[in-house]
Amino acid sequence: MITRAEAEDLIARESLALDRCDWDGWLALFTEDCCYWMPSWRDEETPTQDPQSELSLIWYQGRHNLEDRVWRVKSGLSVASVPLMRTSHHVSNILVEGEDRVVASFAVHVHNTKRRGDHVFFGRYEYRLVREGDALKIAEKKILLMNDYIPAVADFYML
Amino acid sequence: MQAMIWEEVKALVDDRIDDGWFSVHKRAFTAQEVFDLEMRHVFEGGWVFLGMASQLPNSHDYLTTTVGRVPVVVMRDGEGALGAYINACTHKGALICHKRTGSGRLHVCRYHSWSFDSAGKNVAVKAMKDGAYSDAFKAFDRNLVRLAAFADYRGFLFGSLVETCPIEEHLGEARHMLDLAADQGEDGLELVPGEVIFTYDGNWKLQLENCADAYHFTSAHPSYLQLVEKRRREEKANSVKSVWGENSAWSEITEGVTGGTYAFEEGHVVNWQIIPLSDTVPLADRAEILAARHGEKRRDWMVNMRNVTIFPNMQIAENASSQLRIIRPVAPGLTEMRTFCIAPKGESSEARRKRIRNYEDFFNPTGMATPDDTVSYADCQDGHANPSQPWILGYSRGMTSVQQGADAFADVLNMTPDRSQPCGSQLCDETLFHSYYRAWLARLQIGMERDA
Repeated sequence: MITRAEAEDLIARESLALDRCDWDGWLALFTEDCCYWMPSWRDEETPTQDPQSELSLIWYQGRHNLEDRVWRVKSGLSVASVPLMRTSHHVSNILVEGEDRVVASFAVHVHNTKRRGDHVFFGRYEYRLVREGDALKIAEKKILLMNDYIPAVADFYML
Repeated sequence: MQAMIWEEVKALVDDRIDDGWFSVHKRAFTAQEVFDLEMRHVFEGGWVFLGMASQLPNSHDYLTTTVGRVPVVVMRDGEGALGAYINACTHKGALICHKRTGSGRLHVCRYHSWSFDSAGKNVAVKAMKDGAYSDAFKAFDRNLVRLAAFADYRGFLFGSLVETCPIEEHLGEARHMLDLAADQGEDGLELVPGEVIFTYDGNWKLQLENCADAYHFTSAHPSYLQLVEKRRREEKANSVKSVWGENSAWSEITEGVTGGTYAFEEGHVVNWQIIPLSDTVPLADRAEILAARHGEKRRDWMVNMRNVTIFPNMQIAENASSQLRIIRPVAPGLTEMRTFCIAPKGESSEARRKRIRNYEDFFNPTGMATPDDTVSYADCQDGHANPSQPWILGYSRGMTSVQQGADAFADVLNMTPDRSQPCGSQLCDETLFHSYYRAWLARLQIGMERDA
């Protein structure tokens, strides 16, 4: 059983890791075989449901794929990632549902220093958490992005 | 704001090919008065792409889009026939169909309840009898306004707000490129569920050019290319395997002809590369079936990378995966992209999975390649505010090697493009863009003369 306090603690640490560009700290919160999924939308009301036959915005199985994404933003080789945008994650309505499922609402404020503009991505997170030894880890993270009208870039650290 | 006269518009393209010179003035990308003319005469003055017939599988289905600034609905009537209409109630102009795709036998305007059937016919005016209407009103055509031209070419739907040439004439020899896509599935093409829409802070013509631009690939996408190479080396489970890991047509080490470009009449172009058949290609498990049906050489063309632009607003990029793009200009420095994964109907679930995974990684605004393009477009848009040297120097590569008519690779398809540029990996032709601007000027001229 996962307590709400534990879930809140984990999600806060994840948010701060992203906002502080502590990429290794962020990756360490995920299990090695984690699933990271941001569906796209079939239509105005329905997100895609099956990542094997429908399009997602992002779908990865395995932390090594997230490591690749981190490598890319750190590499200096990605036009879209230099300079990095500044982010502030705000997560609320955190609830434990069932044994290992956690839901939450998010708003991520993104400041694009180069274009001198702000954007807010918002939606819901759905997690499946597992215990690895003493640590609580993310086995699944689903990001339901409500405003999928994307101003050019939406990378993992803005979501 | 002073409206531009034709001589000023014409002067934005310096087309002196006999002197070895072609350039476009930066104002073509930045000026509001140019943008207004483009909307009226390029987008609202000739054929534009609307959507796919496969989005409307059943009678009474519809899809909504825009032609320039004009809301448009394509509907399938009760008999199954497709029609395209202005998506506006003939009473006061309120939109009639409200979703991207939907269905309805009867569309009742939400504002005053005039109703229209799926053939666009005005079947009722609320309280008509008690309305004390004049005979002149009763005699007036209240049906939804049909587009002046509408066509279904092999499932690709096109429309025009003005009377224009037949679609076959508009597509011309570029139709072969649509045929190569359509022929991949016995029952044609479909859009994988999940539409992705994004914007970028740049002119729509930057997208037009980038799709056909081989020159940027190794400069803008090294992070993606290095990851593809790393994944190929590591062979981890659940890593996306890309066709880019299996060939080096973009690399400096290759020799001989590795691909090229074709430029067609009416502003259509394709930039292509030879891609060898390998497991990473979504068509791989149907390679023999496709060869039996279409011949080996034509099948190989289906596997090749092809970035096709059908002027002015449609692109199909087939490389690591397959993307259909609809370009919608919003302002001189703002463009909206509607994007879809397009795929042959009936392919295996494994092939579909491969296609989807590569699509997400490469094409999505949440992926690892497209954002590096779109952010570069915004950089260009900023840099185009340069009155000191207003001419763009991006139209000159390949100037002395481009050939008129077909090359040996086009002959395989019985295709006769206007110009061909078979070349090695490092030539990176830019002369194909000339066709965009010639078609652009042609539409502007026709429209401006019509309005004069």
